[in-house]
Amino acid sequence: MLILKYSLLPGLERTGVLAPVVPVTFIHGNFEFPTFALVDSGGEQGLISTVIADALNINWQKLPRHVGLTTSGNFVYHTFPNLVAKIDDYEFRLSINIAEGVNAFKCILGRKDIFQQAKITFEGYKKEFRIDFRNLN
Amino acid sequence: MKYKRINFIKLLKKYKSGWVAISSDFENVVFSGKTLKATMQKAKKYKEKLYYFPAGETYSNFVGLFSNANFKI
Repeated sequence: MLILKYSLLPGLERTGVLAPVVPVTFIHGNFEFPTFALVDSGGEQGLISTVIADALNINWQKLPRHVGLTTSGNFVYHTFPNLVAKIDDYEFRLSINIAEGVNAFKCILGRKDIFQQAKITFEGYKKEFRIDFRNLN
Repeated sequence: MKYKRINFIKLLKKYKSGWVAISSDFENVVFSGKTLKATMQKAKKYKEKLYYFPAGETYSNFVGLFSNANFKI
């Protein structure tokens, strides 16, 4: 089981908004990109920026384009079906959306990916959350 | 049971733009650069695992709601 403290990000100190952020390594063939992802129960599917996709050598421009919805408007994305994510010692495959025109730090894991792999418990009163990966063998 | 804490405020204090490479214990920024490519290039010979993160003034839209409307265009 992994227990992580919610993170406070620069610029958000006065708001007190804390983010459940998990260290994750994305793997595509010989390319690996360790970074940090927001664990988002409100997000349907994982999402990364095109900057991260480029670092993983994913040819996202050739993938079909779709339009998604956010609270602040629409965004264009491309779905890459076969990415690997590694959190601590646990690896899993996921389909990821690659969003154009978003901040480089946009990196989200959502209901269709990490929430299918683990029991995730948010304990906001402790400012921490737990990830307990399922034993799928 | 593993316990992790990542203090982005402390890590990113000196970095207002570009990218940083953070040590795997999440305690230090080991490399930084104007672009991700430049930062990864500096880290090429570094043997330990590094985590990459953009450095910016604010992350006010780090948390936001996304939904796949799935309209093909």
